[in-house]
Amino acid sequence: MTKEERLKKRHRAEKRFRFYGLTSIFVALLFVVILVQNIFSKGSSAFKKTVITTEVFFDQELLEIQNGAPQEEIMEADFYDVMIENLIKAYPAKDRDEEDELLKLFSGDAEIEIKKAFLNDNNLIGKTITLDLTASDDIDQLHKGNYPRDLPEERRRISDFQLVIYDYFVENKKISKNFNNYFFNNGDSRDPELAGIGGALVGSFYSILICLLLAFPVAVLASIYLEEFAPKNKITDFIEININNLAAVPSIVYGLLALQILLATIQLPRSTPLVAGITLALMTLPRIIIPCRASLKAVPPSIREGALAVGASKFQSVFHHVVPLALPGTLSGTIIGLAQALGETAPLILIGMVAFVVDIPSSPVDPSSSLPVQVYLWSESAERGFVEKTSATIMMLLSFLIVMNFIAVYLRQKFEKRWN
Amino acid sequence: MSNVKIKSKNLNVYYGDKQALFDVNLDLNEKEVTALIGPSGCGKSTFIRCINRMNDVIDICKVTGNIEMDGMNINDKDLDVVSLRERVGMVFQKPNPFPKSIYDNISYGPKIHGKGETKNELDQIVENSLKKSALWEEVKDRLDEPGTSLSGGQQQRLCIARAISVNPEVILMDEPCSALDPIATAKIEELIDELKKTYTIVIVTHSMAQAVRVSQKTGFFHLGKLIEVGKTEKIFKNPDNKMTQDYITGRFG
Repeated sequence: MTKEERLKKRHRAEKRFRFYGLTSIFVALLFVVILVQNIFSKGSSAFKKTVITTEVFFDQELLEIQNGAPQEEIMEADFYDVMIENLIKAYPAKDRDEEDELLKLFSGDAEIEIKKAFLNDNNLIGKTITLDLTASDDIDQLHKGNYPRDLPEERRRISDFQLVIYDYFVENKKISKNFNNYFFNNGDSRDPELAGIGGALVGSFYSILICLLLAFPVAVLASIYLEEFAPKNKITDFIEININNLAAVPSIVYGLLALQILLATIQLPRSTPLVAGITLALMTLPRIIIPCRASLKAVPPSIREGALAVGASKFQSVFHHVVPLALPGTLSGTIIGLAQALGETAPLILIGMVAFVVDIPSSPVDPSSSLPVQVYLWSESAERGFVEKTSATIMMLLSFLIVMNFIAVYLRQKFEKRWN
Repeated sequence: MSNVKIKSKNLNVYYGDKQALFDVNLDLNEKEVTALIGPSGCGKSTFIRCINRMNDVIDICKVTGNIEMDGMNINDKDLDVVSLRERVGMVFQKPNPFPKSIYDNISYGPKIHGKGETKNELDQIVENSLKKSALWEEVKDRLDEPGTSLSGGQQQRLCIARAISVNPEVILMDEPCSALDPIATAKIEELIDELKKTYTIVIVTHSMAQAVRVSQKTGFFHLGKLIEVGKTEKIFKNPDNKMTQDYITGRFG
């Protein structure tokens, strides 16, 4: 082979390599785009809910309370009859069956929504106001275009008569889409139009907070001790190997561990963020220790020697110089560890967080759900309304992860000091 | 003429199974510059790291024999290394300022030793140290800039200022000019000349010329043994040992 041929071959090899690299980046991006597009197209509609604009007349005879009634009295009052009387006026129905079908177009919370309007203004007796009442899941999905209406009637959840009413609503501009506050404020529900991630958000928040409070100090102190103070011998080697092993243990194993020790032996309350936080802390510990030690290791030995040479003690050299320099890496490692913990599902299922919890937890020892478990729960539900809810929850989860990772990168770049 | 400041007797150093120093007997005179020369890996650095017990950092390192400063045994297990290093400062091969401001670099030592209780005293120490290390004029207007933003030679003088900020008696220099250009080197050498009035200095160097220029006494190490020690003039003009002769004339090393 001549010199020129060899040179050409080298250039060709380089071009080939660039091509492979570009191709793989392109393929990776393509998958990301498909994933994001899929989630967005399914999930974005969940942030809106369909409402039916209805006139509500507060009849004193049906309510049996006075204007200006105190809050407790309103809470106890029965708004059911008022609801029925007003809802059946939304469309001129001919008989009882038609009225029943009409009522099914509203969500199960219509009574509570009317009551809330009265709680806001307790002088409404004898007056008529217009309220945006949440529509039922079926109407919601139909209005969002997620529901095919050209199927034969027996295969539809919505009857022909209900379609007629729906068309009447559309024609009279009585149906519209509002911001879905239920999705953020409500806990889980069997009715998709009322279900929200409020409970899961709070549950995830408590879990991650407990995980952070437990894992961060332990992991940082453990890494400082192992990296700076521990003698290098067989025991520390053994510990090091096992930290790496623990980081690779499947998360479900931590779930089993928590099930046996935290729930069965110590008898901590089941399905709670407390147990979830402890479990996630156990799982996250080695995953934080590893980047912490790496960032301590990355501080050049000359800094330690410089401090020691002016007479700093070992402790001073570590805490005055090494730790502050390693802090950005430590923090970003911690945040990435927490982001992983936030997305963790398997161990939480084992400790009972998969339970159906309607109430939003008010403390870490209340039963609750968490974001990834909520995704898992809803993805198994049959109702069409849960499909968009599932995707929307994934969007929330992903945006939290992206924000956390962004903070990690930002911290590292902002506070990382250069040395030479 | 001068008093012996540091005296080593049968000093042996081992890194694990490997012996790095063999029975070194070397006296360092007070307020004098002693240069240690010899090929790489001959034990010069190991020797000076015995003087401020920097070898403690290395787990596998073991030191036997005697090394005394003003009659105090440096090798004593019960000796507090913190107070030893307050008396014996060190400047390293590569400038290693802390990634902090110039001011903080110098005030750190006095602070941890409880010198300079007030801001004023501390300011004074910083100014004096920078003046002694001939850096004051260049940095007096930017004391809050990071030490790492200085040039290599300035960084090394900053490290010297950091070493003298705690007012030591001995300064150890481990090839302080090996990473510097000739002009920066000349400045450091001038500085060493000035500093020897106050401090006992030990300098490890690979440059014969530098040893001749700055030192009064020179020790030649080879393979962990102190081959020859004496007045610098004598070592370079008329060494007793054939190996010393060969090394300084560049026949090996």
